Amino acid sequence: MADVASPSVRPGRSYRYAGKPIRRAEDADLLRGAGGFLADIPTPDAAEAFIVRSTHAHALIRGIRSEHALKNPGVIAVFTAADLDLADDALPCLDMLVGTLDVRHRVMAKDRVRYVGQPVALIVALNRYLAEDAAALVEIDYENLPAVTDHLQAIEGNAPLLYPEYGTNIVYETRQHDGNSAFVAREGDLVIRKRFEFHRQTAVPMENRGVIAKLVDKGERIHVESTTQIPHTLHTALTTAFGMDASQIRVTAPRLGGGFGCKEMVYPEEIIVPAVALKLKRPVRWSEDRREYFGSAVHGREETVDAEAVVGPDGVFVGLRLTGWANIGAAFGLVPNSPITAMAAMVRGPYRIPNLDARMFSVVTNKVPLNVLRGAGAPQAALLMERLMDEAAHALRMDRAEIRRRNLLRPEELPLDRGETDFAGAGRIIYDEGDYPRCLSAALKLANYEDFESERASASQKGRLCGMGIAMYVEITAVGPYENARVRLQPDGTIILFSSIMPMGQGSETVQRQLVAEELGIPMEQVAVRQGDTDEVPDAIGTFASRGAAVGGAVARLAARELIKEILNRAAAHLGIARDELSWENGGITCSRLEPFIPMAEIPTRLAARNGKANDGGIEARFRLDVAHPSYAYAAHIAVVEIDPETGRIEIPRYIVAHDCGKVANPLLVEGQIVGGVVQGIGQVLREKVVYDVNGLLQTRALMDYVLPGAADLPPDFRITHMETPTRFNPFGMRGAGEGGCTGAQAAVSNAVTDALRGYDFSVEGSGPFTPTWVLEKLDKPLRIPAR
Amino acid sequence: MSEAISAIPNVAWAALDEPTTELRVVVNGKEVCAVVPDRLLLSDFLRDCLGLTALKVSCGEGACGACTVVINGEPARSCTLLAVQSDESQIVTIEGINLASGLNPVQQLFKERHALQCGYCTPGLLMTVHCMISRGVQPDSDEVPQYMSGHLCRCTGYRNILAAVRSALGGETPGPGRENNG
Repeated sequence: MADVASPSVRPGRSYRYAGKPIRRAEDADLLRGAGGFLADIPTPDAAEAFIVRSTHAHALIRGIRSEHALKNPGVIAVFTAADLDLADDALPCLDMLVGTLDVRHRVMAKDRVRYVGQPVALIVALNRYLAEDAAALVEIDYENLPAVTDHLQAIEGNAPLLYPEYGTNIVYETRQHDGNSAFVAREGDLVIRKRFEFHRQTAVPMENRGVIAKLVDKGERIHVESTTQIPHTLHTALTTAFGMDASQIRVTAPRLGGGFGCKEMVYPEEIIVPAVALKLKRPVRWSEDRREYFGSAVHGREETVDAEAVVGPDGVFVGLRLTGWANIGAAFGLVPNSPITAMAAMVRGPYRIPNLDARMFSVVTNKVPLNVLRGAGAPQAALLMERLMDEAAHALRMDRAEIRRRNLLRPEELPLDRGETDFAGAGRIIYDEGDYPRCLSAALKLANYEDFESERASASQKGRLCGMGIAMYVEITAVGPYENARVRLQPDGTIILFSSIMPMGQGSETVQRQLVAEELGIPMEQVAVRQGDTDEVPDAIGTFASRGAAVGGAVARLAARELIKEILNRAAAHLGIARDELSWENGGITCSRLEPFIPMAEIPTRLAARNGKANDGGIEARFRLDVAHPSYAYAAHIAVVEIDPETGRIEIPRYIVAHDCGKVANPLLVEGQIVGGVVQGIGQVLREKVVYDVNGLLQTRALMDYVLPGAADLPPDFRITHMETPTRFNPFGMRGAGEGGCTGAQAAVSNAVTDALRGYDFSVEGSGPFTPTWVLEKLDKPLRIPAR
Repeated sequence: MSEAISAIPNVAWAALDEPTTELRVVVNGKEVCAVVPDRLLLSDFLRDCLGLTALKVSCGEGACGACTVVINGEPARSCTLLAVQSDESQIVTIEGINLASGLNPVQQLFKERHALQCGYCTPGLLMTVHCMISRGVQPDSDEVPQYMSGHLCRCTGYRNILAAVRSALGGETPGPGRENNG
């Protein structure tokens, strides 16, 4: 052959990235403050939108007068529902069932408002200051209706109805059962009945939401930029709402400043702002402020669950019965029923418990809509289950680790089919492989569990109440139904991955580049990734349910594998060599005879030259990964708490995680997810709470009211141990890791607080939050402000 | 070097009957003279008028620290100051301490320690670290968590942030050619 490759490009080095703690290349931009978040996108010619929101929890709208607002300086337009005339079903809900009452969120309130913060009108002005000025001048004539904020009151016969046409505030029901759902206690069995209250929380990513909409391509298309975890779902919603062809709409999402589920939603503002841009034929941007965030971005968790557990005298759980009511707020979010379907499906976690009957209901109230928040229903499920384990151990005077061992599924019992579920994206619950007992043992060992009583005694001598809490969970991760990715070999010999997985902190840019480089055997520097553009990947799902690395990474790698096939097919044709004589090794084409090694960087020019044509713009492949079954990550968490009985302050000096998220793509990033998730979970049970007054007025409207965990809340002694059992349900054995930290922490801390307060004959039945005031009430002491 | 800047972000302020004040500040070593609406926030002035978008606005009330800049050597919340309040002062944002390209040693330590995830809180936090270093805060001092208590991070759980800050305060230099750089 005429072509003789230089020695420097002979195959030699194999680049390996999967499983390594690769530092993130994206940090370079972020650390320089050039992260390119939505608010950083320059829009010099955009008008600014401001949403006028309901100040009433429940009221009829008798009229809206906007003349005064319209005359205010700098105001371009004012829109109400009547001006926009969008269909009532423009905002999607993905987990409705047959029989579900349709309470989808209205894009803008027409004749009735159902929560404080609901969009009622929109001002477009030259800048935000002027828009806010005018907003105060929009006159809305409300006729107040009685409001209901408590979900247990809302299911009473005399409760105000949010949707009178339905005659009830219960809009959705799910039932999960297994084994004998009519199980009863035998003589000698222990029966535990408890009511668990889970309080309302919210995600609070540091970045608020925002939307930019502008006409492009000579006004024939609209480009919507939004802070969304699911640009493709938004694309579908916009197509439906506007009756436009899919090709006329482009949705992109820039890097997100955190998501945690609250951006897994199609929001009214994401329809309203583009609708206004279409009407005005000019670019419009909307930037949420933190006050708006609290009153309009979805909340999470709130529910009440009655539990009945039957436990044999040996500590073996016979059955579990749940009846629960979730407070889903005033209307459906995108997946409003997933917290309860996930809880019902997964409440038994790693435990055998052969009999289950869980009935859960979604109840509408005059609050902000509820949606998934990091972990969906898994944190509530784990907290309830682990509290019951501890209560059973306490009643039976058993060791808390021992009772768990007696109930844990053994490796040889897996995989295990636990039946069908209404949880969107799961279908059937089929636990994959794992070793739950080994996970518990690893955590106990790392926690010095055997020596804990001496630790408690020495804390007690210092006047502090010390407790330890164990919690385990199995959670659904890496859900389907499918994902798409596209990989392109550029004419310059580098690779671009087009992905729908949104970068929002998890490091998905780096993970995906790692896996593509691994597959191709090339240096990572040669792989770029572009994310969140519906023009570049037309059909995709998005980023949620711990699927970014496991599903998004897998499909990226499989697309790279397709690219290799495509390259070899083309090379065979161009070089006139039989396809089976070519193979891909160490980042290039090798041939069993004739042709020497062709490195990837030379492929586009070499193949183009052979063809006697100019470069055709590269070689492309795409792949669709269908995810028939999600995978199931699991962990054991142990929290040690110390309570100061004088101040009521709870500290967590030590925290232990033993976890298995399958094959790890990047351990540095997985640890980051775990620590961040645990501290978020700690905040959610020690501090955070969304508070409404009885009239439905939101009280927590700022970070001064809704207190996030700070640097001092990090457990100073934080220990993590990893297990790495590949799952059969993922082509590369990966499970998800994004949510588990949060899931385990709520349960472990709740058990530790109960353990610390055992002397007070008191147990935690819910998620708190366990604020100093709460602790002092339990200790039956007045609140004392220590002198400074 | 003096640069007169029209501090009118979108078209509209000038034509309106909006009270304004002349403002002279030095931003990242550059003298800026501008006529600004009295009610314009400093964070908006820096981001919208000067294009210094590294600082982030998150809580809008001084609770989270994402908007932190350094004013006359002190870390300050730009979201709760009016631009006119910064008259005659020296302001430094992260654009002022960035190298021409690449990462400065503190930024490199943050990358090595995976001390950021979404990165939204990071630029503001780095401004406080900048002040801590210039004040000679010791790495094992109780002041470290005190300074950091002014910054909320929703992603990392703070562990890697504290590690990176302590190593920066200890004068640790980033590992040269450390492998595993993505």
